[in-house]
Amino acid sequence: MIQIPPYLRKGDTIGLTCPAGYMESAKVQTCIQTLQSWGYEVMVGKTIGSKSKTYFSGTDGERRDEFQAMLDDDSIKAILCGRGGYGVSRIIDELDFSRFKKHPKWVIGFSDITVLHAHLNQRIKTASLHAPMANAFNDGGAKKIYVQSLQKALKGIKSNYTAKAHAANRTGTCEGKLIGGNLALIAHLVGSKSAYKTRNRILFLEDIGEYIYNIDRMMVQLKRAGMLSNLGGLIVGKFSDIHKTVRPFGQTVQQIIQSHVAEYDYPVCYDFPVSHELENIALKVGVMHQLTVTKNRSVLKEL
Amino acid sequence: MPEERKRRPLEHPNQNPKNNPDFSYLDGHMQRKSFLQLLGLGMLPLSGFAAPEAANRVRHIKVPAYLKPGDTIGIACPSGFSLPETIQPAVELIQSWGYTVKIGNTVGKRDFTFGGTDEERAADFQAMIDDPSVKAILCATGGYGAGRIIDRLNFDTLKRHPKWVIGFSDITVFHSHLHQVCRVASIHSKMCGSFPKDWATADQVQTDSILSIKNAIEGVPVIYPVLPVPHNRTGIAEAQLVGGNLKILENMSGSVSSISTDGKILFVEDVGEPLYNIDRMFSNLLRSGRLTKLKGLIVGGFTNIKPDSPDAPFGRDIYTIVKEQTSRFDYPVCFDFPVGHQKNNFALKCGLLHRLTVDTDQVTLQEIS
Repeated sequence: MIQIPPYLRKGDTIGLTCPAGYMESAKVQTCIQTLQSWGYEVMVGKTIGSKSKTYFSGTDGERRDEFQAMLDDDSIKAILCGRGGYGVSRIIDELDFSRFKKHPKWVIGFSDITVLHAHLNQRIKTASLHAPMANAFNDGGAKKIYVQSLQKALKGIKSNYTAKAHAANRTGTCEGKLIGGNLALIAHLVGSKSAYKTRNRILFLEDIGEYIYNIDRMMVQLKRAGMLSNLGGLIVGKFSDIHKTVRPFGQTVQQIIQSHVAEYDYPVCYDFPVSHELENIALKVGVMHQLTVTKNRSVLKEL
Repeated sequence: MPEERKRRPLEHPNQNPKNNPDFSYLDGHMQRKSFLQLLGLGMLPLSGFAAPEAANRVRHIKVPAYLKPGDTIGIACPSGFSLPETIQPAVELIQSWGYTVKIGNTVGKRDFTFGGTDEERAADFQAMIDDPSVKAILCATGGYGAGRIIDRLNFDTLKRHPKWVIGFSDITVFHSHLHQVCRVASIHSKMCGSFPKDWATADQVQTDSILSIKNAIEGVPVIYPVLPVPHNRTGIAEAQLVGGNLKILENMSGSVSSISTDGKILFVEDVGEPLYNIDRMFSNLLRSGRLTKLKGLIVGGFTNIKPDSPDAPFGRDIYTIVKEQTSRFDYPVCFDFPVGHQKNNFALKCGLLHRLTVDTDQVTLQEIS
């Protein structure tokens, strides 16, 4: 059984931390103000706008200690990651989730934060929120439906998302626990104890900045690891900023994914609003959903 | 040159190493020599080094028969495409070594980046596996694509009648699968595109790298002395050698082809990856338990590293990354080993028992039997 952390009430505190890449303070201000305008207190960790001169927001120890403190601080009801980048894999095995397990709270983010979603799902059996992070609040993002979907999720409003039809969609309906995130991280976790198990799950995928051949290679990996054969359904988000090789790969991302799931018959939808772009709605990892793909639209409904 | 050395009277190096200047490092008095000078050692049989229980430790790996002049070497493209003119220098040189070359029908075939469709590449490779006259399969090039066909191939014949599969980079898929699933040794080395067009004017390091393939397929035991770097962690390991391209080792995770590295010497190399991703791949090896029980780690070239964005330097080089990821272990680690996407990429026999000696003044990887 997956436990669902308590939803937030006005006055609750959200902790803001960077467990992976560096982020400057200026980029989190709109996020902080918006969370406050939603009625929450914000506790800003020292990893935000830290003195780190490297890629990371702090040393492994600093990032780990701050995340650990937020996991264990009962006054913090949710942990919003400032940004992704890379770095959670370096600290995940040093985090102690024993208190968190008894007092679960929402862990929020995407991209590199997929490591936390998978680990929480697979090891800690706790739901988490795949959702926009601090930078998404900037440039008017806070007023868009995507950031607002995070607000609704935190309040406990059940989601019901509709995506436009896509010619490549495979129709069908399924119910299952939602899992997913960044394809590179889902592939990277395979072989570790944090790897998702996908049986009967609705899997969503997105990625950014990968070569097309590498997207194919990662899909082959998922397939060879037995992670595509027994899905309940597949949700394909956006793959942004695809790198091209000098010799063309000859297939689009959509064609690649289609080819790898052609032998199965579960519903598949493409162009779902989950991505590194503006279109990135809040998704509750570990929570039961229903995916309905018809010729006219795709609907992902939280049950 | 190698022929001549091979015909030297056999010496038992242990009998009197001090009289043999080439082996002076054995008693700690090695003079600094270039790798190339030291490479000459590779031509000597070294059975005298075998550990007593060595044979038992590799008996579950089948070693294909070594080649002799007149044997046939097949060339196939299981990954990227290769043109007939690209492989021509390799064909001519291999013929000059006394072998017959069988050119697979994927050479010259092209499906975008692939050397033919998945079906075509699988069929050509399958034909090479099943043709009893083909004693070794040299992959024309790497790139990407072996992972797409590996599960279509039937290795039953190869398991019964092992033959050498030769290549690196994407061909790490085969090395992994052959080791883990088929239990057959294979050769990690340069491929056709790296054979020099003009042997006479080619860099010696390139010709030596190519000749190391010849030595490997002919059964000359490997011994590679390498100059040490200060980052190395000293120690001695005797174990099976496994490894290849780090990205492919990560990518094989979760599949039947993923190598169990427990009790083995692992070598890794990669090209064109950013440092953060190299770190992430080592995290994958660590978190999937593949760094924990190693006997030794050989870090080859990590070339053409994609630069960090200037405002967010990763702050670690390959030495630091590996040292951090292996800090809790105490097995020997050596860096800058001549394996990788570079000119000095010497043939390694995956699955065979080796001794890795990492000393402050000398690193040696040596095949033992």
